[in-house]
Amino acid sequence: MELKREAGCGSEERSDALVRVRPAGGLTISVHSKTGPMYADRIREVAEGTLRALGVTGAEVEVREQGAYDHVIRARLLCALYRATGGGEAFRRPAPIAAERRGSPKGRLRRSRLYVPGNNARVLAFVDTFGPDCLLLDLEDSVPPGEKDAARFLVREVLATMDFGDTEVWVRINPLDRGGREDLEVVLAGRPHGVCLPKAESPVEVAELAGLLYELEGRYGVPWLTWIMPIIESPKGVLAAPEIAAASERVVCLAFGAEDYTAEVGCGRSWEALLWARSGIVAAAAAAGIQASDTVFSDIEDEEGLFEETRRAKDLGFAGKGAIHPLQIETIHRAFAPLPEELEWARGVVQAAEEAERKGLGAVSYQGKMVDRPVVARAKRILEMARTLGMEVGDAA
Amino acid sequence: MPRNAVGRDIPEEIGGKPLRPFQGAFATVPQGRKVAPPLKTTRPGEDKVLPSLEEAIRRVGLSEGMTISFHHSFRDGDLLVLQVVEACARMGIGDLRLFPTALFPCHQPLIRHIEQGVVTRIEGSMNGPVGAFVSQGGKLRTPAVLRSHGGRWRAIECGEVHIDVAFIAASTADPYGNANGMWGPNACGPISFSVPDSWYADHVVVVTDNLVPYPAIPAEIEQGYVDYVVTVDRVGDPGGIATGTLRITRSPTQLRIARLAADAVIAAGLVRDGMGFQAGAGGISLAATDFIAKEMARRGVRANFAIGGVTMYLADMLKEGLVGAILDGQAFDARAVEYLREHPRHLIITPGFYADYNSRGCATYMLDFAFLGGTEVDLEFNVNVNTHSDGQLLHGIGGHQDVAAGAKVTIITIPTIRGRIPTIREQVTTVTTPGEVVDLIVTERGVAVNPGRPDLAEDLRRAGLPVRTLEEMKAEAERLVGKAKKPLFGDEIVALIQWRDGTVIDVVRKVVGWE
Repeated sequence: MELKREAGCGSEERSDALVRVRPAGGLTISVHSKTGPMYADRIREVAEGTLRALGVTGAEVEVREQGAYDHVIRARLLCALYRATGGGEAFRRPAPIAAERRGSPKGRLRRSRLYVPGNNARVLAFVDTFGPDCLLLDLEDSVPPGEKDAARFLVREVLATMDFGDTEVWVRINPLDRGGREDLEVVLAGRPHGVCLPKAESPVEVAELAGLLYELEGRYGVPWLTWIMPIIESPKGVLAAPEIAAASERVVCLAFGAEDYTAEVGCGRSWEALLWARSGIVAAAAAAGIQASDTVFSDIEDEEGLFEETRRAKDLGFAGKGAIHPLQIETIHRAFAPLPEELEWARGVVQAAEEAERKGLGAVSYQGKMVDRPVVARAKRILEMARTLGMEVGDAA
Repeated sequence: MPRNAVGRDIPEEIGGKPLRPFQGAFATVPQGRKVAPPLKTTRPGEDKVLPSLEEAIRRVGLSEGMTISFHHSFRDGDLLVLQVVEACARMGIGDLRLFPTALFPCHQPLIRHIEQGVVTRIEGSMNGPVGAFVSQGGKLRTPAVLRSHGGRWRAIECGEVHIDVAFIAASTADPYGNANGMWGPNACGPISFSVPDSWYADHVVVVTDNLVPYPAIPAEIEQGYVDYVVTVDRVGDPGGIATGTLRITRSPTQLRIARLAADAVIAAGLVRDGMGFQAGAGGISLAATDFIAKEMARRGVRANFAIGGVTMYLADMLKEGLVGAILDGQAFDARAVEYLREHPRHLIITPGFYADYNSRGCATYMLDFAFLGGTEVDLEFNVNVNTHSDGQLLHGIGGHQDVAAGAKVTIITIPTIRGRIPTIREQVTTVTTPGEVVDLIVTERGVAVNPGRPDLAEDLRRAGLPVRTLEEMKAEAERLVGKAKKPLFGDEIVALIQWRDGTVIDVVRKVVGWE
């Protein structure tokens, strides 16, 4: 592969690397490492390996790093070479996967979905330890237009390297007609569990995305169906939510994004102003047998406000809520946990229903209120959630 | 070379002085008596005020080879150490032994005086450039000696270090030598680090930029111990006190560690009426203390006392009634100094009160829990606070050993990766605090419980906290960043790390290359 021009990528921020490449006769690699001799040889090896894998034989490479991990250096070098060569087939090969990852069940817990900027090496350095139910590596709003390619490579390397344990990992791509296709081409090699489609307004886009995923899963050997989470963030999107939710078997969750919605409608951010949109999304998701996840809560300091809003969202039928800071995760999870009185009620209902069944009674009542099938189903859902969360449930079925 | 109780080889002697290897946190039984300063008198009418440092240096007979001491209450804003050393240099006095409680980056100009032989020995903490310089080897005539706050007090008291002249920076003093750090335009908080210096030094010089009429109150340093009072333009810049991370962190990873550390304390049942705790000044400790404060408020629980380094966060807890008293050895911000003046239950304590091994009781022994940091930890729960993984000596001990030895539950908070360097090591580069006094190590990946504390492991598991082994967390971090190359150490010893009882827990050797 030949370099056409000089190019660079990355920064000299903490945990990042600034990599420059120039066309040259042979290969020279210079390393300026914040950690001195502790990692300099290793960084050189990472650079050499990356160059070899791409078949680059003539380049002058300079790495200036501030405690960047290997995969960050690899990502920055890949993107610098991408910029210097204009891309090509070599960049569309499967990435070497170091992370063990299993497929993720369609109906799993998705209480929290944490957005993390996709081009911020400092935040990404510990992203494997944040522990949300869903981690969304973002290529869209948090990444400036000129850095989209850099973020793609970085997100891909993070996905391919890090072990996220029980967390489901997602990538929020750009809209398909504004870089989303290119995003997919690169990041799918990292085998995310799912892809978030922002500003979803029609089932056609979702179907198109599903088609692209099918093709790329084949190319990169992804062993599972990559899920889709359309983000509904416009009035048009809310109106089309039922069709969007049903557009593909890959759609497992509808997310609500309130920021763009309020701007477009011209409404405030009060609960009342957004109630229709929220309810519409929840109903559309429920009709399609999938989950709905509420919009983010943007005041990081206000733990109580977040808890309250999450409780209300849960009450409305949402299965999850967006987060913009790892510290919000615990509060959100707390809000989705059944309260002691809810648990007691659910236990009582289920017991009453079982007893009635044993005795062959048709009508059941608990605490003086009639218990019919939907009520029993709701009680069972509460107990199921408690069990999933490892809470003490007792011997109720 | 004898091997000490943490497996480190300690030379039998250095420069003719025998070294005692560390035998265990409380193995030493002190023998003998305290030393005593010379008897002196001052007659009525005698004037102690001198016009300049030079004059004081002449009067006390400071000369080649002597030991001069300082406190570090101004931290990175200290202006006295350099003024004295420069005066000595001008007067042709060299070969001095510096015995500060701690040096900071502001003392970088000392390097020139070390190179020129004005200062040839240092016993004290060296934070930053002076430590890095000394690490290069061949700079000091004998290895530097690092002691904890309590260890320094003990060394003075038992005569291990004889101070010829103590120079004590005071933001307020009277002409008779009574002095404090609480008042004056450049107030810095307690200057009680210098109390033992005033008691045991042959000569004591109080240096102030705020001379007030007799009596200066309170008299942290008392007239009866003071030979001379010198006024200078400025003894220190209180703006330099608040260096480092003295705010609650916003970093997600640090907050996660803090949250986990606080949850561990709560799970261990330590948040209860009458508790006592140490609040560090690092970003993680502050955040953890803040989480604890919220839990205390929620439960209506009150602590009997807290020990500082005092920040505004701790001072606010006193004001809100969450803490019954603050025992303050050191102020970390201006608000802490303010509260010290206003609040009767915000008390100045000396390092002896706080931490002396050879005493019949330290405040740290009354602690239920304490949050401490470190540069590295190892699989034996040993903690390094002095050197970095590249072998550079960059930090002092502070109260780390004293607090860890005393607190019922000692919690080390540390991210598993710093920069890209993994902090959980097979063996720490330098042992500062032995694993036997460390109970929990909290990282962003979980909590490791010292195998000697199965009770804590049980409590934490029952509360659903992620109890992990250090081995697991080490492997996870190294999977991401790989193992760092280690420095190769030569024979030359650049510093001794004393345990608080005066035994040697480790030595710092000169780096001669890389593996």
